Amino acid sequence: MSTTAKSATDDLADVERVLAGDANAFEAIVRRWQGPLVNMAWRYCRDRARAEELAQEAFVRAWRGLRLWRRESSFSTWLFALAANVFRSDLKRVPTVNIPIDDIVEPSQPASQADELQRKLRYEVVRRAVLALPLRYREPVLLFYFHEMDVAATARTMGLAEGTLKARLSRARELLRRRFPRLADEHAAMELSASTTGKEA
Amino acid sequence: MKDELLDRILATEEQLIPSSGFAASVMERIREEATAPRPIPFPWKQAIPGIVLAVGVFGWGAVELTRQAVSAAHNAPALSLHLPVSMLRPVEGTGWVAIALGASLASWLLSRFMIADSRLL
Repeated sequence: MSTTAKSATDDLADVERVLAGDANAFEAIVRRWQGPLVNMAWRYCRDRARAEELAQEAFVRAWRGLRLWRRESSFSTWLFALAANVFRSDLKRVPTVNIPIDDIVEPSQPASQADELQRKLRYEVVRRAVLALPLRYREPVLLFYFHEMDVAATARTMGLAEGTLKARLSRARELLRRRFPRLADEHAAMELSASTTGKEA
Repeated sequence: MKDELLDRILATEEQLIPSSGFAASVMERIREEATAPRPIPFPWKQAIPGIVLAVGVFGWGAVELTRQAVSAAHNAPALSLHLPVSMLRPVEGTGWVAIALGASLASWLLSRFMIADSRLL
């Protein structure tokens, strides 16, 4: 049995136990999904303490609404969609402190191959820039990469049609490309370097 | 730029490990909720007669007001003869005022939408 199928079976069994009155059975669900939920929340706020608070709130809401899971989708799909709602509304209430995307400055020097730290910092600026996107573009990006670039899973979590999601992703990428034009040079340099290394080999 | 580098940057996030007490603190809240007494349900049985009475009174009031307004409207031409022209002019312009307010609202909504979109550029 695959890991996903096993976790789906375990989820179902634990949910049944919780609904039968065994509150402690929920702990297995928490332990199974705490990592993904905290990481998902982290992508929304990039603040560790707040990510744990948000994930905790999502688990509590899941506990309260467990009877509402209709088993049409997997438990994880339901849990992620519920968590996305919790994170979205909480961040509307208390927004993360972000500078507007127009004020984000791309580091002037493209990182050299040797300067790994500089590269990591540049990439972190790009990741943080996602939070400066408007919500309609930000959330698809956050969830798309959280779901390891699975369009269908992201669309299910957001309750959007796949076409709409793709359009929003495309717009978000366009905005990020416009804000970080030097990434294009870096990408070209990396491709050139890779092809040169390939020829030499 | 092709999207590969952007994909690589955004896909390679450091994986956070929840703090050791995370699951325990979630379960503490769950157990608190599980042992808490159930909220007292709203007393619909007692409230329904009151709600019905209130709806009836307000309905009757609305009917009476409409009836009086209709009868006042029938007498309006006689009254309007006595109104000075300076009072009637603003009333004639009401339609234009409504259109202007509508246009203002539409332009405000449009500008909000455009600002939200231009923030990306």
